[in-house]
Amino acid sequence: MKKLLIYFSFLSLMFSSCKKIISIDTDNAPPQIVIEGKITDKLAVQQIKISKTINYDAALNFPAVSGATVKVSDNRGNNYIFAETAPGIYTNRMRGASGVTYNLDVTAEGKNYTASSRMPNNVKLDSIGIVLNSFFGNDRKTAVAYLVDPIKETNFYHFDLFVNDYLSQRFYASNDRLTNGNPLQIQLFFKSNNNNNDSDELNTGDKVKIEMECVDSNVFDYWFALSEQSNRGPNQGTTPANPTSNISNNALGYFSAHTFQSLNLTVR
Amino acid sequence: MPVKFYLLLVVFFFVLQTVSAQNKYNLSGTIRDANTGETLIGATVKLSGKTNLATSTNNYGYYALTQPEGEYTVVVSYAGYVSVVKTIKLNKDLKLNEELKTANDLSEVTVSATNRKNENVKTAQMGLERIDMKSLNSIPVLLGEKDILKTIQLLPGVKSGGEGNTGFYVRGGAADQNLIILDEAVVYNSSHLLGFFSTFNADAIKDVSLYKGGMPAQYGGRLSSVLDVKMDDGNNKEFKFQGGIGLIASRIKAEGPIVKDKGSFMVSFRRTYIDLFLRASPDSSVNGSTLNFYDINAKANYKIDDRNTIYLSGYFGKDNIGVKDLFENNWGNVTTTLRLNHIFSDKLFSNTSLIYNNYNYTVRLLNDVTNFKATSLVRDFNLKQDFQYFSNKHILRFGLNATHHRISPIDITTSQESQVNSLTQEKRYGLESAVYVADEWAATEKLNFLYGLRVAAFSLLGPGNFSTYDAAGNINSTEAVESGKFYKNYLNLEPRFSVSYLFNDENSVKASYNRNTQNIHILTNATSSSPTDQYVLSSNNIKPEIADQVALGYFKNIQENNYELSAEVYYKWLQNQIDYKNAAQLLANSNVESELIYGSGRAYGLELFFKKKFGKLNGWLGYTLSKTERKFAQLNNGNYFPARQDRTHDVSLVGIYNMNRRWTFSSSFIYSTGNAVTFPAGKYSIGGQTAYYYTERNAGRMPYNMRLDVSATLEPRKRGKYESSWNFGIYNVLARKNPYSIEFKTDPTNATKTIAEQTSLFGLIPSVTWNFKF
Repeated sequence: MKKLLIYFSFLSLMFSSCKKIISIDTDNAPPQIVIEGKITDKLAVQQIKISKTINYDAALNFPAVSGATVKVSDNRGNNYIFAETAPGIYTNRMRGASGVTYNLDVTAEGKNYTASSRMPNNVKLDSIGIVLNSFFGNDRKTAVAYLVDPIKETNFYHFDLFVNDYLSQRFYASNDRLTNGNPLQIQLFFKSNNNNNDSDELNTGDKVKIEMECVDSNVFDYWFALSEQSNRGPNQGTTPANPTSNISNNALGYFSAHTFQSLNLTVR
Repeated sequence: MPVKFYLLLVVFFFVLQTVSAQNKYNLSGTIRDANTGETLIGATVKLSGKTNLATSTNNYGYYALTQPEGEYTVVVSYAGYVSVVKTIKLNKDLKLNEELKTANDLSEVTVSATNRKNENVKTAQMGLERIDMKSLNSIPVLLGEKDILKTIQLLPGVKSGGEGNTGFYVRGGAADQNLIILDEAVVYNSSHLLGFFSTFNADAIKDVSLYKGGMPAQYGGRLSSVLDVKMDDGNNKEFKFQGGIGLIASRIKAEGPIVKDKGSFMVSFRRTYIDLFLRASPDSSVNGSTLNFYDINAKANYKIDDRNTIYLSGYFGKDNIGVKDLFENNWGNVTTTLRLNHIFSDKLFSNTSLIYNNYNYTVRLLNDVTNFKATSLVRDFNLKQDFQYFSNKHILRFGLNATHHRISPIDITTSQESQVNSLTQEKRYGLESAVYVADEWAATEKLNFLYGLRVAAFSLLGPGNFSTYDAAGNINSTEAVESGKFYKNYLNLEPRFSVSYLFNDENSVKASYNRNTQNIHILTNATSSSPTDQYVLSSNNIKPEIADQVALGYFKNIQENNYELSAEVYYKWLQNQIDYKNAAQLLANSNVESELIYGSGRAYGLELFFKKKFGKLNGWLGYTLSKTERKFAQLNNGNYFPARQDRTHDVSLVGIYNMNRRWTFSSSFIYSTGNAVTFPAGKYSIGGQTAYYYTERNAGRMPYNMRLDVSATLEPRKRGKYESSWNFGIYNVLARKNPYSIEFKTDPTNATKTIAEQTSLFGLIPSVTWNFKF
């Protein structure tokens, strides 16, 4: 994909491509339920969020779904009741463990949704750093995560990148299909929300935080599908579709039992 | 059972006709250009006397006719050439080779205005478009690089893959369902520079035919269309040079006799020099970049004796893209065709071809110590034997074809330091074989048939490990197959049938039915062709794609064939179509077949075509009304949805105005409905970001496309043997911002809002090209 970007920057050298804002005709669907559930290996307040979709051109204010029954059980016989602590936010203070399968059971607005996810083994996030990439003579600083992929298992990773506490607007998912057993240096290109390429640069003094999750195969597919689609509109690349959810009954979202690590640095 | 019956029927009709032939003699020969010695494809040979009969020359300029004993007038004609009229006494088998002079002086009276006069009305063949190489030169194109693939997109029923793109879709089919052959060799990737230019250098091309439907039985292997491109043979009279200098590319071609009147050669070379502009940049990382492509076409032929002619032709092309210290990527096709024309008897013409072709690409990363290199190759060996038997009212074609495919999906090599592991994805081997028989039968003065059968077999060969998968894509079982073993076989019968009924010389109706199958498929989820497109063969998981097409048409010629008018409707059923699962990983995936889903499709439409062939002003108007849909159980709730290339309306208007000997003006105008795309039907918050919610697949529309291009050609007075011309062009004169893609993003001025931003590629682009000939 990066390669294609470079091709197109070549072509835009030749032909000045241009952009304009247009209005499109699209029918909005009735609100759909969205469930986002995470169980981590840290003893912490684990959160399951239930919300709804809104019209594609509406202001970003996603309605919370209150009054749902949210339960998590595991294959070791434990049951956890998640209580609504804020509108649409259901929590329980607990700790997940690798190798354990967690089952989610949500009843909201008269419908039942279930999902399960097995927490994989943790892979240590060794360190994070900054590398310099040169594109046509411009050096760009890019955040990178360093880890050693275990050779004996299939691993899936999901990352979140924060710059000055601001979440990068890109989905980062990788697996070890082509890199099994190797020391990895995973580059995370920052994207701010204001469509301005200059502000996507990392500058001296910026505080960088990388969160790494070891996820299961279904959850990886979910993030990977989003990463393939994000920031690319129709008529280019994959035809967009909703990522395949591991939650039943056509709910959007995912339920992920994953290990969690986080490292910080300040750009020098 | 119906198959056997069909075969018997073919043979029966044929025998019926030949048995009744008595006291008949044969007239045969080869028709050539008097100046260059090039054989003329499709020249008309007409016999008038006791009975009238006409035929046209085949792909090698050969013709044969059978008529009762008697005296006849023979007229040999070809568009733009002076017709030859001769009187013959047919009392024994005769050989008549003719060389036609080009009509330089328009005052000549016997200049044939048309080759294949009324052919479009008379023959049973439907859905055939021929590109006139002369008008091709004056049709305006992007950056002045004349291009057959862009010109065919101006015909009804053929849709462009995108702005400035050489990819095309025929009658609702996919881009990989076109059989593109150059001197019979398959050209897998027919595009340069991500599809902005095609691999066909117009200088080296003699003849282009596009079959949109009613595919004759001698062609097979793809569902939608056949683009049959033939290279120039070369001048066998004298040495000639021609070339051109354009904005982004230069061309040079040399041709001449090997032995005068017996053999000739042709070599042509084209190279772009976009990277020269880059090199002029003061920036060291820009001027170290490469961006170019080149094409070499070469051909030689030698007439051993009256019965044997040998041809050797080849194509070699390559694209190079690279950024200094970062990466380089090159890809290209190689084709080689060795042919022997043999005339067994005046009635039996044979062509034997041995063909080699490959497509390969390499990607290298240069920015670190990883030594990352990925290569891929598709390689075919192909043996073809074609016969043509010319009888009184029949031309019988039969033959066989065997192609051995080898596909190396990807080889990745890296150093120890690399994050990426070295990997060799298993090679795949396949054997495609076919036998066919087809009869072109002039049953009565009014009724013509073109019917036949192609039996297409495909075998997936070992060695290899072949897996089956469950619905989730996990391996169910894997079978190791030894080298040379036939692992999976498919046999498909492809009946082809066309009929025409002539109301009179200038009006006819035609109908056709044909089935096509396809055993090599491209996996790609990008819109434009990418050098890293992956090829897969039919397998235990992938079944051969099948298309059935019926078409009905009305054809009319007005004013001595000056105007041609046609209306065709078609309906097409597609089976075993391929799409991808969500989050499919297609590249370097040994289990890529687990990422595929299979479904069906349908396409139907109406094509209207009006063409003015001669005069100061000529050109055409094409209109297509069409729909193409796909259906997959896993997509869109199992309902039909429009394919991306589904466009309701397509209009193209081409005008060429020969003002005088010096100036020719031309323009082309296109309008089309936007592609079918998926727009969001809502949005939601996930992972702290906004994701879009989709409902119906491809239910939205891109904005429409509209473009006007113009060009002018100036031919200064000839000086001796030396000719030159200037071509000035403007692409997109209206500077309309045609949609290339749409991106949904957060409004920069209001972070709570979502906006749609359209990207357009080309504004108004002027070009100038200088051509010469001596």
